[in-house]
Amino acid sequence: MNNHVRQLREQRGWSQGDLAEHLDVSRQTVNAIETSKYDPSLPLAFKIAKLFRQTIESIFVPGKD
Amino acid sequence: MARPAQRTHDRRIMIAMTIYVVVLLGVWPLARTAGEPWLKIGYALAPVLPLFYVIWIMARKILDSDELEQRTHLIGLGVAAAVVSVLSIVSGFLAAAGAMTLESTSVVLMWIFPLLMLAYGAARSQAARRYGGGACDEDERMPAYLRLLSAAALLAFAAAYLYFRKGEQDAAEMMLGMASALAAGSAFFAVRRWRRRRAHSE
Repeated sequence: MNNHVRQLREQRGWSQGDLAEHLDVSRQTVNAIETSKYDPSLPLAFKIAKLFRQTIESIFVPGKD
Repeated sequence: MARPAQRTHDRRIMIAMTIYVVVLLGVWPLARTAGEPWLKIGYALAPVLPLFYVIWIMARKILDSDELEQRTHLIGLGVAAAVVSVLSIVSGFLAAAGAMTLESTSVVLMWIFPLLMLAYGAARSQAARRYGGGACDEDERMPAYLRLLSAAALLAFAAAYLYFRKGEQDAAEMMLGMASALAAGSAFFAVRRWRRRRAHSE
């Protein structure tokens, strides 16, 4: 799954550490999500969407499976 | 909510392991000469108490982890359980067939916990690497070379202590070997860290 988390974070001028603090996860987890190495759980995806005031489907895009 | 610092966790583990080594060297040998059975059992089981503390620290760490970290913990524990189970069944078969003495079986049993921890640490760091994290995220935790150096110093101290005790030379040599291996690992990580920092600054 691909996502726009990095772009949304950078638009706000946040570091990965800042976003990690907002989401209450580790910086490594933010990095893994941004690089599409890890797909977050539904609750975390909702938390990300709520934080950026967007819908889940506008942030997370299905990849080629 | 602030996440617990990795350095604090590392420090707690280091303190617990130091207590474990001190109890193992200072209290456990008294079990051999203790007269009363309850005293013998007490001395023999004394090193287990710091291990319970280590398990408690690890449980806290896993409970405080986020979902990706919990996944890497699960992978690490799964691999460690598989390694230890295989070793246990191999020693069980060998002991049942009489190919291993009772004494060597008890040595294998004592190594199960350290092996579990070692396999868990290695598998977890490998899993973290798969998700883009480093085995040694040195910006957030005590550098790997310092952790290994501390463990090497602890084992070297234990080796020196055992060396001057009667009949413990074999154990002293084994501990010295382990300390040397850890010191070599520490040197490797120190050089790697220095090279990475130099490459980063250029």
